[in-house]
Amino acid sequence: MAEGMLKQFIERRNFLNWFLGTTAGAFVFSVLYPLSRYLTPPPVAESTARSVTLSLKPKEVKPNSGQIFRFGSQPGILVKTQAGELKAFSAACTHLACIVQYRSDISHIWCACHNGHFDLNGKNIEGPPPKALEEYAVNVRADQIVVSKKS
Amino acid sequence: MIRATSRGFLWLGIAVILFLPLPAIGQQQVENCAACHQALPDGRLAEPAKQFVGDIHAVKGFGCVSCHGGDAPDTEMSAMNPAKGYIGKPTGTKIVDVCGRCHSDARFMRQYNPALRVDQVTEYYTSVHGRRLKEQKDSKVATCASCHKPHSIKAPSDPRSSVHPLHVADTCGSCHANAEYMAPYKIPTDQLANYKKSVHWRMMANKGDLSAPTCNDCHGNHGAAPPGISWVGNVCSQCHAVNGELFSKSRHSQVFVQMGIPGCATCHDNHQILETSDELIGTQDKAVCTRCHTGEDRGGKSAAAMRAMIDSLRQEYDKAHAILLKAGHAGMEVSQPEFDLNEAKTALIKARAAIHAFSVVTLKKEVDPGLQVSAKAYAGGLKALEELGFRRKWLAVSAVIILALIVGLVLKIRQMESAQKGSDKEGV
Repeated sequence: MAEGMLKQFIERRNFLNWFLGTTAGAFVFSVLYPLSRYLTPPPVAESTARSVTLSLKPKEVKPNSGQIFRFGSQPGILVKTQAGELKAFSAACTHLACIVQYRSDISHIWCACHNGHFDLNGKNIEGPPPKALEEYAVNVRADQIVVSKKS
Repeated sequence: MIRATSRGFLWLGIAVILFLPLPAIGQQQVENCAACHQALPDGRLAEPAKQFVGDIHAVKGFGCVSCHGGDAPDTEMSAMNPAKGYIGKPTGTKIVDVCGRCHSDARFMRQYNPALRVDQVTEYYTSVHGRRLKEQKDSKVATCASCHKPHSIKAPSDPRSSVHPLHVADTCGSCHANAEYMAPYKIPTDQLANYKKSVHWRMMANKGDLSAPTCNDCHGNHGAAPPGISWVGNVCSQCHAVNGELFSKSRHSQVFVQMGIPGCATCHDNHQILETSDELIGTQDKAVCTRCHTGEDRGGKSAAAMRAMIDSLRQEYDKAHAILLKAGHAGMEVSQPEFDLNEAKTALIKARAAIHAFSVVTLKKEVDPGLQVSAKAYAGGLKALEELGFRRKWLAVSAVIILALIVGLVLKIRQMESAQKGSDKEGV
């Protein structure tokens, strides 16, 4: 009788040890897996709400050219003037939010949807856009271009 | 004899106007006109003198005699002696002559506003107003003083000016919306009411967009006239350049001229230009294409096809936008597909403009890239939601694991406690 109880006690103890070991292992895995996912960089770098570091290097941007970049979920346009000054603006046209582009032939930022023109201060100078493009601050830090929202 | 005398007076009048004194720059004239006129009990004579204080001409140093002539320093009634150049209240062509004496003089105007045009009088005589005044001696037509309120003239950029963009429509409407006044001309008088229902007026009045067009932007200001049927498109394309260019190259451009109907206004109306929608194209209820086409003819079929293409792009865009919104609200990082979807929105707007080429092939070139971008963005949203489902599922699993671990630990503690008690009893 006592031997049977002892056997049952030992079996129960073994099961409990196995149960504890398994759940502890699963717990460790459930902690480590999200941790490893968190530490793995995402395919595309996220930008903060107020600033973004571009993947371009300052030397790669030619004078009298412009490039679209991602500012969060919104498009921005980086322009290098003929004088070599870097400028950045929101690339959403103030008319109907089409993505604008840089026209090197006239040195204007131009919207192809309805022929809206902006000068290199972002000011609407021709066509239907009712107001200027929002201008961003451009800073070159070491070999990186950092674009930030003003104020 | 009488005719010769009238002609003599006419020449005398012109000579007087031509030799009215031009004030030197910045030199305030000694004027006694206002001193008497402001105190007169007759408002008709007193008000102009009171109002003139704020007039742009008064601010620049011009006085009453600049337009009315006479002898400013003279404090008596003799100041208003025609022999001293006094012309009284000018009317008709004399108003144009008085204003044009300075405003058509480039050298003179340069001293005050070098950028101001000096061809207003020339333009005026090309307008319907000017032609009727000159050729038909119609005294009811607008002259300078009808739009630029005499004695309280302000620069057009001044919000108090009768020709400030916000006030132009009402200024024109003061005659053109007056059915009684316009009765002899037998033209509609609903332009002002219709214009105030238009998207142009809404943009100007409600959104404060002063670049939105008002009467003078389409009709001209000093040379005001209705646009001709063949060149309405040129007028609209001053702002709607892309649509205008596509239309001018389309088959409709020539056909409309042959049919004697205006370009843009046939589909969009002239004064009551409402905000456009995709419903305007096609062969359904609100489609304007059905004014000429049926669903069975070639044009009607093209219109239906173009409507289907626009609808499909809009629906795909909306679908992608909705799923990205849902994923974003659930906390998923979807800024990349959201960024990509901007391209689809651009494609949709360009496609709406491309309708003005009235070509299925042209429209397809804009729609297809938009559909591809929308599909890619939708897939991005779907992937984000799948990731969300995965995370939620494994969160539940890990919660069960943690719970099981707690239960296991509790049982182990109890087991250890009971084992401890057992060994204590055996020891006793």
